[in-house]
Amino acid sequence: MANLKEVRERIKSVIGTQQITKAMKMVSAAKLRKAQNAIVQMRPYSVKLSQILSNIMANLEGDAGGAYGVQREIKTACVVVVTSSRGLCGAFNTNIIKSAVATIDSELSEVRKNGKLTILCIGKKGYDFFRKRYKDCTIISDYVMTYNDPSFDNVAIASQSVMDEFVAAKYDLVTISYGRFKNAAMQFAETEQFLPVKRLEATASKTKSDYIFEPSKEQLLKTLIPNILQTQFQKCVLDTIASEHGARMTAMDKATENAEGLLIDLRINYNKARQEAITKELSEIVGGAAAL
Amino acid sequence: MNISILSPTGEIYQGKITSVQLPGTTGLFEVLANHAPMVAALGQGTGRIINTDGKKMAFTIEGGFVEVLKNEVSLLVRGYQAK
Repeated sequence: MANLKEVRERIKSVIGTQQITKAMKMVSAAKLRKAQNAIVQMRPYSVKLSQILSNIMANLEGDAGGAYGVQREIKTACVVVVTSSRGLCGAFNTNIIKSAVATIDSELSEVRKNGKLTILCIGKKGYDFFRKRYKDCTIISDYVMTYNDPSFDNVAIASQSVMDEFVAAKYDLVTISYGRFKNAAMQFAETEQFLPVKRLEATASKTKSDYIFEPSKEQLLKTLIPNILQTQFQKCVLDTIASEHGARMTAMDKATENAEGLLIDLRINYNKARQEAITKELSEIVGGAAAL
Repeated sequence: MNISILSPTGEIYQGKITSVQLPGTTGLFEVLANHAPMVAALGQGTGRIINTDGKKMAFTIEGGFVEVLKNEVSLLVRGYQAK
């Protein structure tokens, strides 16, 4: 039977841990609200952008991807991995990394063998992982800290650099792995193709309104497409942030629950030990009295 | 007519206006009520709004797009700064 003092110390430390996890859960809840807000705030902008795109497409023939839609034989590739910068959020980062690794191992194993694989990390956790284990790949670390300041312009620098490299034919394929946010309790680690953009074709819409395009439709598309891509990229980052806080909330809630379970066991042990000590003392007194 | 100015971080302004002047990539232009449907790319420059009360408002942008449809002006801007 554990001695009394030891058990008391453990109870104290578990209570301390529980308080921390409880606080972390509450902090994450507040941050989650903020992150969700950022996603909601961006929605009207991105919706309007795609509306404008479909308006142009309805008045245009053929494919609109332009330089961003060129399908090449995949000899080089870039994998963008968006993870959080901090841990203590369950299997969240591991899942994103796993999803990225699965893509690398299946579709891009040939590219990796030839040493033509680039991994661009946003967020420290992914960077730490790939830096240690993927020494044969080029790891871009310039944008690791972008995660901590996900303003549109800041993220746009990262996405623009990827897009420029793609246009310059330095990458033939760009995928992005991130945590898609559904709700506070549900996040999905996903890998999506970022570039080349899938074929944008005119959906057979009847709303061929007589728009004045200025400058020409083609010129407009040239500036519109990068904007849409940047918005997409931004959404991935914002989603990951919201997912991170959601995951941390769940993880910390579980931790608090576990601590509670641990406390119940410890308290039973403590009381048992205390009872035992009392019984022992009593029997000693009785034994001593009988000896007299 | 109505205008809504949207940026990636949220809606900046919404209101009724009588005219809006914008820096298009090919030059400055102005949109008045009952303008024909239009989509235009914007460059760096200053935009000016006159709302229905006659109040003027100016701002600078780094780029963006504008869509005009049935007296609804949707302004998508990057690098918005009130002047």
